[in-house]
Amino acid sequence: MKKVMLLTIFAALMMISSAAVAQTTASGTLTVTATVTGSINLVFNSDASGLALSSGAGTNAATLAFGNVSAFGAISAGIVRSTTATNFTVSSAVDVLVTKTNSASANYTLKAQLGSADAVNTWTVGGVAVTNAAQSTLTATGTYAANSNFPVAITVPFTTASGTLISNTINYVATAN
Amino acid sequence: MLKKYISIMRGAALAALLMCGASLPAQTTASGVINGSLNNTSGIAIQFDSDPAGVTLGAAGTNAATANFGTVSAFGPLAAGVTRPSVTATNFTVRTIFDVQVTSGGLTSTSYTLTANLAAATPSGMSYKVDAITLTTALQTIQVNGSYNTDIAHNLDLVILTAAPGAGGPAVNTPITTTINFTATAN
Repeated sequence: MKKVMLLTIFAALMMISSAAVAQTTASGTLTVTATVTGSINLVFNSDASGLALSSGAGTNAATLAFGNVSAFGAISAGIVRSTTATNFTVSSAVDVLVTKTNSASANYTLKAQLGSADAVNTWTVGGVAVTNAAQSTLTATGTYAANSNFPVAITVPFTTASGTLISNTINYVATAN
Repeated sequence: MLKKYISIMRGAALAALLMCGASLPAQTTASGVINGSLNNTSGIAIQFDSDPAGVTLGAAGTNAATANFGTVSAFGPLAAGVTRPSVTATNFTVRTIFDVQVTSGGLTSTSYTLTANLAAATPSGMSYKVDAITLTTALQTIQVNGSYNTDIAHNLDLVILTAAPGAGGPAVNTPITTTINFTATAN
């Protein structure tokens, strides 16, 4: 009789113990959803043969400062100058780097447009005239993930007064093809 | 004699009926006893809560919540509560923050261990991290000393390859859903 009692108590203790262990665990599920879309990115980099970008290299908002320029005077390294009978042009290489992600696009189209009108000077990017009237296509087959040099050039008439500040913004748009 | 007996019995029966009639109103009140018992067992519970810095969870406050990152890309805009801690040439990471709250009752335990695993293999081009721990279908320990009864924030990272679909990258323009199982165990 005593053995039976002891066995009963032992069994009861075992049941209590197992129940306690089972209840010290809790579980839950977190269902995570995301929709991946392809994207491309454009940044400006300093070109080794051109002026170093004054600011914003490696970003999509850079500054290119030619400094003081003239038709015949000293010119900074990195600036290419040509002169005609009526004007002179200063140019600097600027790299554009377009990268793509999660996209099967083979190449991109790059367009540029001046931020504001310039009735005096002529602007070109990559040899293509750029105005504020409309976007100009610089390339229709840009290569991804490679620095591509699109020189920025400004043609200044000899009639421009010395000390005149020339400044404008060029807006670039790359579109995946 | 027999008539007298019958008369007495009739009288007794009548008296009994009258007594029954008198007692009927008393039977509109009943009483009873119920024997209740309660097993006071100890336990813990887990729930997911939205973190102020993260996306708003679906079914927040339960143990079966949803976290929707919305549309994600390496360079495009992200939904509120989603950040992009890194972009490299091979992958980018988008992050949100969610809270886990584990409550306990009747335990002497002062902390819990949190583990997690993916319910299924990761979709192509994707990997999932909780607090920088890459999840697999095997249990991974996320935290060993979680405090009870308070929201504890955890980072949920999606590391997404930048490769194109079919070239190792994830499917695009379609929702990718993965379930993460969490288990809290009392220490």
